[in-house]
Amino acid sequence: MSIRDLKGPSRWWALAGCLIWLAFTLFPLYWAVITSFKSPLGVVGGPTYIPFVDFEPSLTAWSELLSGARGQFYATFIASTIIGISASLLATFIGAMAAYALVRFTFEVKLLSAVIFVFVAFGGFLLGRHVLGLGQAISLIYAFVAALALAIGSSRIRLPGPVLGNDDIVFWFVSQRMFPPIVTAFALYLMYTEMGKMGFKLVDTYTGLTFAYVAFSLPIVIWLMRDFFAALPVEVEEAAMVDNVPTWRIFFGIVLPMSKPGLIATFMITLAFVWNEFLFALFLTNSKWQTLPILVAGQNSQRGDEWWAISAAALVAIIPMVVMAGILSRLMRSGLLLGAIK
Amino acid sequence: MTRQDPIKHFFIWPALLIVLAISIFPLIYSLTTSFMSLRLVPPVPPRFVGFGNYTELLQNPRFWHVTWTTTIIAVTSVTLQYVIGFSVALALNRRVPGEGLFRVSFLLPMLVAPVAVALIARQLLNPTMGPLNEVMTFFGFPNLPFLTQTSWAIGAIIAVEVWQWTPFVILMLLAGLQTLPDDVYEAAALENASPWQQFRGITFPMMLPISAAVVFIRLIESYKIIDTVFVMTGGGPGISTETLTLFAYQEGFKKFNLGYTSALSFLFLLVITVIGLVYLAVLKPYLEKHR
Repeated sequence: MSIRDLKGPSRWWALAGCLIWLAFTLFPLYWAVITSFKSPLGVVGGPTYIPFVDFEPSLTAWSELLSGARGQFYATFIASTIIGISASLLATFIGAMAAYALVRFTFEVKLLSAVIFVFVAFGGFLLGRHVLGLGQAISLIYAFVAALALAIGSSRIRLPGPVLGNDDIVFWFVSQRMFPPIVTAFALYLMYTEMGKMGFKLVDTYTGLTFAYVAFSLPIVIWLMRDFFAALPVEVEEAAMVDNVPTWRIFFGIVLPMSKPGLIATFMITLAFVWNEFLFALFLTNSKWQTLPILVAGQNSQRGDEWWAISAAALVAIIPMVVMAGILSRLMRSGLLLGAIK
Repeated sequence: MTRQDPIKHFFIWPALLIVLAISIFPLIYSLTTSFMSLRLVPPVPPRFVGFGNYTELLQNPRFWHVTWTTTIIAVTSVTLQYVIGFSVALALNRRVPGEGLFRVSFLLPMLVAPVAVALIARQLLNPTMGPLNEVMTFFGFPNLPFLTQTSWAIGAIIAVEVWQWTPFVILMLLAGLQTLPDDVYEAAALENASPWQQFRGITFPMMLPISAAVVFIRLIESYKIIDTVFVMTGGGPGISTETLTLFAYQEGFKKFNLGYTSALSFLFLLVITVIGLVYLAVLKPYLEKHR
């Protein structure tokens, strides 16, 4: 018994508090489950609480849902799954590479180069759009390429001013997450529409939404994976370097396999974010690649008070993540996520 | 520690390019749009208006109302989340009986889609078919219009936020509590320090840095709330529960007033940045004192 264990009555007070919180946490989920098994009549008649005791369970909602009588659930579920898994895989992979680079290699970016990027992008876009009379999308692409080229070029020559190191770059990545997503989502919608006018359809496509989600998830992936890589023993890699193993083989053959638990946890956290994400999907999809949160939110206005169907629909969105929560809590027990928050 | 190797560019550029193209570039694009008068419905040719959109917004009482509503929701729900989350984390850290079961189930809400939570909340709060009002009636209280009266609707949104995000606070604070050293508490027990003294003198100060980080993350995230409100009240009754993101959505997607919406989203960014800076400035002396 450690010094920290509760003794005497305070132990029971803590237990009572936890039980109240447990009831508050679980009751809504319990309610959704039992409502999805109620018959339409059973819902309208007023609240009932215990199956078989005060109402007779029925499978109406589920059979309607699974037979497809209630809109395209299968298509949406599959779209959500494909986008969720591929965006999380891509974000975990790209983010892990960046995080590894930021832990092991030295980066120096001159502040002035970053300023040049912003100014050229800004000015180039305005110039192309308003002075040269180019289309929005064309001027965007030109401005982007020019800004990138000038920023890279300028970092090669000696420039005065402060130099940003690895920590600053990480901070820059993570701070993306602080921005209200509405800023990006709305502008991204406009940009995608412009691209669509040029023949690259991005609104309501797999590519468009997946890349938006990858960009949206990268900050958190880099944040989590950086701490994970920093905790790995560097000696293994040094030994491999002595043997002249190329860096890319060290990364793929040694570092990635060693950090499998971290990668899995990061992948699952990203998947949960993407799966539940609402705003980007609301702006960037309309029918074909609609995700589950949008469909579930739509149930509300379409169905009115058909709570049995709505509950079943909500549960379809909930259950995959609850299964994941089980796996995640197992990983947490092994202390995996502890390092990630310091 | 770190080393030079040209291959580093190969590692970092994919991430950098995606973030530049999909996060930073839209920002630049919408910043330019925010200085223009641009409408899709009815189509108006773009015209440079300088700070016109911004002044128009700052004079719009709806903007201030929406900012105020969002602030109330964010501050109240984060305060509740922190207080409840800290208490639960303390109990779990002290190995309350049944701790293993609590740990697993307490995390559940965090992973549930906010739209699904909002739909379930609508059922629970339904005036005629929901269980909450039946319980109220049973105990002799009047039936309450939870989602159709302003103060109750805001309360309901806060309750849903607390339900969903307290688990995050529990998770982070529990991880922090587990790193605290035992010997300090042993010394305190020898000095006969009461549990409250131990909490005030040891636990709380030592947890201050992580608490600051958790509250910061939650506060910033709460300001972005849209999905819960979108489903639960749709901003109603009237605009009384409308939040900043929902307001921007209505302006941008229902009215297609592009310049105005871009200006709104930048003001929003400004509001969040100011809140973040004020928060850090207020907290800094405390954090340094306990370092």
